[in-house]
Amino acid sequence: MRLEKCWFCSSTVYPGHGIQFVRNDAKIFRFCRSKCHKNFKMKRNPRKVKWTKAYRRLHGKDMTQDSTFEFERKRNRPERYDRNLAENTLKAIKKIDKIRSDRASDHIKNRLKTGKVQRQKEARKQLEQGIHLVKAPLALAQDSSLCLPKIKVNVSQAQTEENQPMEE
Amino acid sequence: MIQPQTHLNVADNSGARELMCIRVIGASNRRYAHIGDVIVAVIKEAVPNTPLERSEVIRAVIVRTRKELKRDNGMIIRYDDNAAVVIDQEGNPKGTRIFGAIARELRQLNFTKIVSLAPEVL
Repeated sequence: MRLEKCWFCSSTVYPGHGIQFVRNDAKIFRFCRSKCHKNFKMKRNPRKVKWTKAYRRLHGKDMTQDSTFEFERKRNRPERYDRNLAENTLKAIKKIDKIRSDRASDHIKNRLKTGKVQRQKEARKQLEQGIHLVKAPLALAQDSSLCLPKIKVNVSQAQTEENQPMEE
Repeated sequence: MIQPQTHLNVADNSGARELMCIRVIGASNRRYAHIGDVIVAVIKEAVPNTPLERSEVIRAVIVRTRKELKRDNGMIIRYDDNAAVVIDQEGNPKGTRIFGAIARELRQLNFTKIVSLAPEVL
């Protein structure tokens, strides 16, 4: 028994689920549910539909390269049954899955970090520029504690060449 | 779901190009034919200079349907078109070649000749 991947959304197609479409050139398209099948019939490109794995991978939303993906792969050679091996594999599946999900969540966390910094920066700027809307400028002048502390920005100044002694 | 008046493609080189179902064989007043069923059909379009001609009445077995086919293992399979293979009274194909993918159900229904000629059995 083989668990195939959905052609549209790349999720796993479990036995008894979904539908297979066979094109006249004998290419098989497997779909996990009618949602994916309908989208295929509408000739939608999975790379342009936001909820598919293809879109998320293409746009850097999901982890694309990881050593944990190496375990889940199509192998065309049947493995000879070995009780110990089967037991170890079952144990490993849980462990590997945990590692993979942890890494995936880390990836998303890292991805969202840049947005947070950006938002804070923008909010600070807006507050600085629009403080007169909250408090009249006259009142601000009287009570300086209402104003945000000035942000120090290091500006690298180009040194004037005139002051430097001429080199012989 | 093939019923009288349904047009089908021909998936072999018998010389017919398009068929129209005029009767489903199997029972009296049978409504629909599915993959593996034999129908009586009329040739609507034929390749010139071949033994089969237009408006000839023949028997054909359905090999592909656009309507989904449900297997015992829960698999649901659907093809791109409705297609049939022209056969004689004994169930042997009139052509020598089969085109396109063919359903595995035909083997159980003793169309082994068709299955062995098919390029792809799915």
